[in-house]
Amino acid sequence: MPKHYRPAGKKKEGNAAKYITRTKAVNYLQVSLAIFRKLCILKGVFPRQPKKKVEGNHKTYYHMKDIAFIAHDPLIEKFRQIKVHRKKVKKAIAKKNRDLADRLLNRPPTYKLDKLVLERYPTFVDALRDLDDCLTMVHLFAALPAVDGERVEVKRIHNCRRLSHEWQAYISRTHSLRKTFISVKGIYYQAEVQGQKITWLTPHALQQVLTDDVDFNVMLSFLEFYETLLGFVNFKLYHSINVNYPPILDPRLEALAAELYALCRYMATGSGRVIGNSESGGAIKEKEDENNKASSKADESELRLAQLQHQLPANEPGALMHLVEESTAVDTDDDETKECKSLFKNLKFYLSREVPRESLLFIIPAFGGTVSWEGEGAPFNEVDEDITHQIVDRPTQSHVFLSREYVQPQWVFDCVNARIILPTEGYLVGRVPPPHLSPFVDNDAEGYVPEYAETIKRLQAAARNEILPLPGDEDLDNSLVAAMMDRTESNEAAEKKKKLEMLEKQYHDELKMEIDGVTFSNLSNKKADKSPDTMDKDDTKSYHEEDEKIQAEKDSADISTALMSRKKLGLYKAIEIGKERKRDKVELLKKRKKNAESSASAKRR
Amino acid sequence: MGHSDGEHELEDDGLSADDSSWSDGGWSEDDDEESLSFEGSGSGSDSDEAAAAEESDSSEDEVAPRNTVGDVPLEWYKDEEHIGYDIDGRKIKKRDREGRIEAYLKNADDAKNWRKIYDEYNDEEVQITKEEAKIISRLLKGKTPHANVDPYPDYVDWFEYEDKGHPLSSAPEPKRRFVPSKWEQKKVVKLVRAIRNGWIKLDKPKEESNLYLLWGDETDTADNKRQGLSYIPAPKPNLPGHEESYNPSVEYIPTQEEIDSYQLMYEEDRPKFIPKRFESLRSVPAYEKALREGFDRCLDLYLCPRTRKKRINIDPESLKPKLPSKKDLRPYPKTCYLEFKGHTSPVTSISVETTGQWLASGSRDGTIRVWEVETGRCLKVWNVGGDVRHIAWNPSPDRPILAAIVGHDLLLINAEVGCEEVQMRAKELLKICEMAPQDDTDGKKPAVRWMKHEKFDGITLLHHKAVSNVDWHFKGDYFTTVVPSGDTRAVLLHQLTKKHSHHPFRKLPGLPVAATFHPSQKMFFVATKKFVRVYDLQKAQLVKKLESGLREISSISIHPGGDNVIVGSKDGKLCWFDTDLSTRPYKTLKIHSKDITNVTFHRKYPLFASSSEDCTAYVCHGMVYSDLNQNPLIVPLEILRGHSSSDGRGVLDCKFHPKQPWLFTAGADSVIRLYCD
Repeated sequence: MPKHYRPAGKKKEGNAAKYITRTKAVNYLQVSLAIFRKLCILKGVFPRQPKKKVEGNHKTYYHMKDIAFIAHDPLIEKFRQIKVHRKKVKKAIAKKNRDLADRLLNRPPTYKLDKLVLERYPTFVDALRDLDDCLTMVHLFAALPAVDGERVEVKRIHNCRRLSHEWQAYISRTHSLRKTFISVKGIYYQAEVQGQKITWLTPHALQQVLTDDVDFNVMLSFLEFYETLLGFVNFKLYHSINVNYPPILDPRLEALAAELYALCRYMATGSGRVIGNSESGGAIKEKEDENNKASSKADESELRLAQLQHQLPANEPGALMHLVEESTAVDTDDDETKECKSLFKNLKFYLSREVPRESLLFIIPAFGGTVSWEGEGAPFNEVDEDITHQIVDRPTQSHVFLSREYVQPQWVFDCVNARIILPTEGYLVGRVPPPHLSPFVDNDAEGYVPEYAETIKRLQAAARNEILPLPGDEDLDNSLVAAMMDRTESNEAAEKKKKLEMLEKQYHDELKMEIDGVTFSNLSNKKADKSPDTMDKDDTKSYHEEDEKIQAEKDSADISTALMSRKKLGLYKAIEIGKERKRDKVELLKKRKKNAESSASAKRR
Repeated sequence: MGHSDGEHELEDDGLSADDSSWSDGGWSEDDDEESLSFEGSGSGSDSDEAAAAEESDSSEDEVAPRNTVGDVPLEWYKDEEHIGYDIDGRKIKKRDREGRIEAYLKNADDAKNWRKIYDEYNDEEVQITKEEAKIISRLLKGKTPHANVDPYPDYVDWFEYEDKGHPLSSAPEPKRRFVPSKWEQKKVVKLVRAIRNGWIKLDKPKEESNLYLLWGDETDTADNKRQGLSYIPAPKPNLPGHEESYNPSVEYIPTQEEIDSYQLMYEEDRPKFIPKRFESLRSVPAYEKALREGFDRCLDLYLCPRTRKKRINIDPESLKPKLPSKKDLRPYPKTCYLEFKGHTSPVTSISVETTGQWLASGSRDGTIRVWEVETGRCLKVWNVGGDVRHIAWNPSPDRPILAAIVGHDLLLINAEVGCEEVQMRAKELLKICEMAPQDDTDGKKPAVRWMKHEKFDGITLLHHKAVSNVDWHFKGDYFTTVVPSGDTRAVLLHQLTKKHSHHPFRKLPGLPVAATFHPSQKMFFVATKKFVRVYDLQKAQLVKKLESGLREISSISIHPGGDNVIVGSKDGKLCWFDTDLSTRPYKTLKIHSKDITNVTFHRKYPLFASSSEDCTAYVCHGMVYSDLNQNPLIVPLEILRGHSSSDGRGVLDCKFHPKQPWLFTAGADSVIRLYCD
């Protein structure tokens, strides 16, 4: 009799009772596979790995509780209704009852996902923690072509665009953007909201092509949930900074540039806010004025514009209170936010036609800069004297204003990642910019630091030194000069220190090796003691001894592995293999670097 | 109304126009007919026919058939001269048949010849007119025969009457036509009620945003809000590294050769992403796999089973067991102090004299040598002429006798060391009077015969089969030999003083590898390939069976205390048995990569060693505590290298010095090494 035999009528126990295969689950729920899939996606139910796979190794198992969870959801009933409704419409059309069909089509059964969102994310922080995929997906769909007749409805693409802009506006407004990275796949952003690091990817601002190798039903099911989730998250975030949601948009800007409208409006307000903070007294007065206007309702459109400009509900009674709150909120900002806020402070940017506008309009205000662009509806135009940086991405720049610097867009991204204003020499028009490095990599843990990362590190250190002596010095000019001096000096000092450290390290290494030699390769030492002149006699001997030394070290490492249990030994070896692989990777990088350098120097000659 | 009038007028116009054309057509058709008939009559040769044609009214039968035979198969007249009868009953003669030349000439002369048809029935040729040809062609096309006939003329209602719409009935209108229908009313009432009650809604529902503050109150404890199973968040996608940049540093871009080499890799090993460098941001194209990757992520999210896995992030050094410092465990042999050179072939076995002054070694070159340990001087050489497989000193200090396995027999010789008196006694012991074969009762060849060895003044024990192992009892009187292929007589016990041998086991399961005496008690250990059996010699019964779990045991050594046994195996493993604890190994050390040739305990120090074919010898600390609750402490101390491999063999034997923490190793490179502290 097989071991797993269970008499008829006996209840199942253990894994057989706890887990159910997918086919059985679908049968149990009495739905089609497509609906089951959609339910799983919406409810966030995923297969699990039972300890013992009772039905076979190649099957997918769901936990019985998860399935019961789906079975008890009102959504399953809704899906059945939708199915019935579809049948009714089909029947009406078949009977040429156009009237009934239209009436039915007018009112399809709808469902809401708000309870699901709350169920899956009981707290707001939970939702933020899982927001990465949501944002990436929404941004991806926002980049799809909004064309009728494609597989994705135009309405939904517009909704995605709106949601993504709203999210970016919030991030930009609260200066919570932390890292950015231009990759081949698109642009990565990392923001920190309520202590959660949220990373998302936006495709490059080129239209994506809908391919056939994906199942849009699955993606749209996901998108359905993500749209709802992001809507609620945006609501909560806007609520937390006391802004009405959904925001009322400026129709003028909306008409001007469809993909721009929301963002540029928010950008404008973002920059306005910075100014407002610097001259808060004036701002309060303005607010009061606006309050009066609101009561009179004389110029409503202007009020709306103003409202949009400042994103503050000016017609609310507590607008003043609000401002106060805002100012206190500024004080409670953590250091990082402060740092981010003031990175591009007092800098004015102008974007040329060819740069990725949407991305830069998002980033620059997020770090406290003021920005305008070439085109209608821009806050200021190219001839503005105060512009400090113009961002261009073309081989040559014909007309040059001497008062500003012309840089490539990568400069902005690198500045943001380094958190300092980098020198613009490398990024000038027509040059190949220095390598763009990922801010997500921990170079030290990786074991390899690219050259440019070191340069940036040095510049950062220099910047820190520069800032430190400033408050102490009274004379500004002197201090500037001193700072410059400081910088060069500190660079030199750093290099010297490095050299010293290197030497010291080498010495320590040697010392250590010596000690090792004494303890582990007494044999060779003794031999050396016995005949000290043999060592000098021939090189082969020393090679041999070197080998012995290495052997001895290896032995001493090996000797304790003899007593390890088999499990631990396996783990130990796996770790060693991993380390070896990492080392190989670094070696490869170093080799390539060396090759590139040598070939470059050969070319120069 | 005016509009409809206009329509009528138009229609009327159309009608009249039609009429006229129709009538015209009719006239013209008539004309045609006339001409047709005329021509037809013209073509006919007989005047009778012409007359008949003129007589007939019907246009269909213009020409009456000349022949009156009726509808009979014409082949009935095949052989007759006539083809039928005319209307008067006269025979109609067949015409003469035309020759081919005639037909051809006719064809050439007459251009209209192609219109002529031979009428078989009447036996004449008929010429078709142009019009007839036209009609035929029209009929072939499936049209009406005459072009002017309109097959679908508009119906013209010539008469005016009251209810033109219902031409067939003049019954009065029924009442139901004038009162509302009951059933319709019922339906309407139903609809009205449904609309009133809101079951039917006609207007499109308004689209309202249903967003609200979902996470309102953060203060309540959210921990128990989530129901059901524990939520396992999906792992986040990997963050991009330097190589994914649109403008990575040069070192991240693989060379063309490397990219080509990716093709040779397995598909799953191949890197998914090949870094590429773009000179400027504007030249970066759209990423074509964006949707695909998004989709893959979706699939991962809803299709992949999720489990919590503990990621171990520990220092690998912490996995290593904590061992006491080696310095505390001194002394132990670690450096080579002396090399005994003299043998010319691999030294198979060594043995140290009890006092520690002498070392005996046997080699494959057929010599037994005795060395002075302190100086490394070779004291004596016996050329025994045959492989020396194993050698053992008598442990008793006053019996300087060597037992050596030469060829497949055992040789006992006087080592000729020590003082005169001792040597005399040894000589006495080795004296043997030739006697008849001892127990030849069962007809078999005796297991052992004691013979005098003339050359070296020793004794040869002639075994029935090859001997592999010899071991002395600690008192120096008894010794045992192992004959692996000896079946029931595989393990033999010998007594030196009485020159007597016997085989204690009637039956021995497994192939014996080694046998040895307990260092202090009357116990006997026999190692077979998988097990070690412990026998009580006095009671003559099995006491214990130690299960090694090894593939093939090669050597065994007993701790001087007697409770611990180490066993070396041919798969490089060393097992430590604590016989008080269990019959299974207390610890198994996988230390050698090749066969272990010998294991040995030190008699005084807590040390044991193993030698192996991989040219190494391991020295380990093996402390046995008198407290039974405390497990033995095993610490690997040193790997001794120095021997070189020859013929695939490494270190063939190792023995400790009986008093000093020194280890002798015998190598296949024919050198004996002494390792000291």
